[in-house]
Amino acid sequence: MEQLLIKIGQNLFLVFGLMALGGAATMVLAKNAVHSVIGFLFAMLSMAGCYLTIGAEFMGVAQLLVYAGGIVVLFLFVVMLVELSKSREKGLFQRQTPFALVLVVAGAVAFVGVFWRTIFGSSAAEALTLSPNLMAQGEKLGNAQMLSRGLFAEYLLPFEILSVILLVALVGAVVLAKTERV
Amino acid sequence: MPSMNLVLLISFLLFSIGVAGVLIRRNALIILMCAELMLNAANLNLIAFARHSGTVTGQAFALMVMGLAAAEVAIGLAIVVALYRKKNTITVDEINLLKG
Repeated sequence: MEQLLIKIGQNLFLVFGLMALGGAATMVLAKNAVHSVIGFLFAMLSMAGCYLTIGAEFMGVAQLLVYAGGIVVLFLFVVMLVELSKSREKGLFQRQTPFALVLVVAGAVAFVGVFWRTIFGSSAAEALTLSPNLMAQGEKLGNAQMLSRGLFAEYLLPFEILSVILLVALVGAVVLAKTERV
Repeated sequence: MPSMNLVLLISFLLFSIGVAGVLIRRNALIILMCAELMLNAANLNLIAFARHSGTVTGQAFALMVMGLAAAEVAIGLAIVVALYRKKNTITVDEINLLKG
């Protein structure tokens, strides 16, 4: 039992990654849209776990706040606003489904074919490792502090542009969704 | 610390599930969710490479991708709601007119 727990602790990223994959599969395959949203929520929570385990703490928390706290709730609102029972999909799969699946599987096979050597070949022994210390300069700084320095010093202009984009998007959403009669 | 290949593999699988969802499903809401999933897979890649190079650039841009994803969801859901008001459906197969 203890051995198993230790093993899980060492492979926490794999556990979270598989959970994310399961949530994503549920999202795609569930017939009921609410179940899809729950699968999406599960996938996003597991992704936050992934971020935490590869040492991007701030991104993990931001993922929790933005996705699990905001976007999933927004999706749930709209799913319940839109009466889905009226336009229920007859079947999950349509005429184009086999083609789509073939396309995706072909893409996956091509990817694995290209990267076979790096993933499973002899060079996998010296696989790229995530470098454990984020800091190059040797200063003792947390992940959030580092990120804020990058964001507000080096990438200030993209950050400001992003905030303008968000403002425009929110105004646009209000204009799009408001009713005809004022 | 997990190996880089594992991170890239997981993010690739998530991305392909997102692509499969966009291609298979006909519900506009679920297509939007699959697009979000693909953005997240890209984010995972960015963070993994940021960790690998030991700089903070990738994480900063992952944060920006997250903000853009929020904007995209706001606009997308507003469009879905407007479509539902006009056409009473959100099945993308039945939305085939340029004129409202």
